[in-house]
Amino acid sequence: MKNQDTSDRFEELEAGRILGDLVPSEVQDWKILSANPNNQADLSLELAAAALDAEFLTNENTVLPEELLKKLHNGISEFVKAEPENAVIVRPARWQGLLASSKAAWSIAALFAVLFIAKSFVEKTPVDPEGLMATAPEKSSSSEARETLISKAGDLIQSEFGGTENYNQMSGTVVWSDALQEGYMSLTNLPANDPGAKQYQLWIVDPGRDEKPVDGGVFDISANDGTAIIPIRNPLMVTNPQAFVITLEQSGGVVVSKQEIVVALAKTS
Amino acid sequence: MVLLRVAQGDERAMEQCITKFGPLVWSIAKRHVQDHSALEDIVQEAFTDLWKSAKRYNPAIATESTFVGLLARRRAIDFARKESRRPQLEPLPDADSLPHASIESSATLRCESEDVRAALKELPEETQQIFSLHFDEGMTHPEIVEKTGLPLGTVKTRLRRGLIDLRNKFRRLDSGQSPSNP
Repeated sequence: MKNQDTSDRFEELEAGRILGDLVPSEVQDWKILSANPNNQADLSLELAAAALDAEFLTNENTVLPEELLKKLHNGISEFVKAEPENAVIVRPARWQGLLASSKAAWSIAALFAVLFIAKSFVEKTPVDPEGLMATAPEKSSSSEARETLISKAGDLIQSEFGGTENYNQMSGTVVWSDALQEGYMSLTNLPANDPGAKQYQLWIVDPGRDEKPVDGGVFDISANDGTAIIPIRNPLMVTNPQAFVITLEQSGGVVVSKQEIVVALAKTS
Repeated sequence: MVLLRVAQGDERAMEQCITKFGPLVWSIAKRHVQDHSALEDIVQEAFTDLWKSAKRYNPAIATESTFVGLLARRRAIDFARKESRRPQLEPLPDADSLPHASIESSATLRCESEDVRAALKELPEETQQIFSLHFDEGMTHPEIVEKTGLPLGTVKTRLRRGLIDLRNKFRRLDSGQSPSNP
């Protein structure tokens, strides 16, 4: 293929990438062509697409849902406060060091408890508690999905949870696949929570992505759960998790966590 | 320029941004994601990105709404890709890759609303129609196929080449030329 043809092909694929319509064979072509230093895309196509969105969508009489608008406005102060000069912010390099240490899981979790976490600047929408109860069908379905993940994932990470001081009776494992962006916790002897008052929340520590742990979802444990299988619900891409941390938070979960109650931690390395 | 004030850490400016651009961010996210809870997350993340990357906004490179639109698109498309479980691409570059205010960029596309409309009118009529269905009415490719009777490949090609053509017209407008000049 001539240089101009190659360049044209790359530009067309780049447009497809921005429009989100590449098929698998085109993805392969894009990967090959993008490795060529002559085919380095700038932002211009993406800006053009954004300009079109802005032009067509700004004129709509769209109104942001009132509840979300309120959350965004209420969240500003929390977000802005997220990195005050005297806050304890752990940078990725320190996370790596922390997670690589040989300290017991509970002491690492205790350190984690004082870290300042700010994934976003508003609270996440509370999840319907009913949908989180470990009912038999869901449990079965999660269990099957976990087994499927274990059997099919070529990059499966598996790690044991260690409970902190007040939760040292609990045990559990976490399985996770970066490629599939899917994972499950299997938790035993975790005390039942009252969903109206407190809920468990998972955090995924991925220092390569961000110094702020990624929210892995809010969940409940009922009295007769036995071993509960909890799917991980990460809204953001996780690429190299170093640890999974369970905390107990207010009902609905939080985005800015004070990490006052750290329940358990599983290190992956 | 509200984004320049956001870049200086002005909380009040951030409030104005949310009021001004919230509907745009919401609309863009809705184009790519159906789940309501995920939509809210994407809007929140987009504004987090905006707070963090406003210092990279350069009014000489893009309008404020284009800059905000770009951040919202990235969040929404990355989420949609992940949900679709399609073969993974490199994610769109993060906000740190945005041209820094002090850096000249070949990506300059500072087109105002009237420029965008003028450039759109210069596109072939059939491309204008598909653009209208996709960007204005928010139709997916299969929906456009159903509506127009065109093969899927044709729809994709027209959208992609149309976007490239439009980018080229924006560049000419940006340099003070007519969009139709070669």
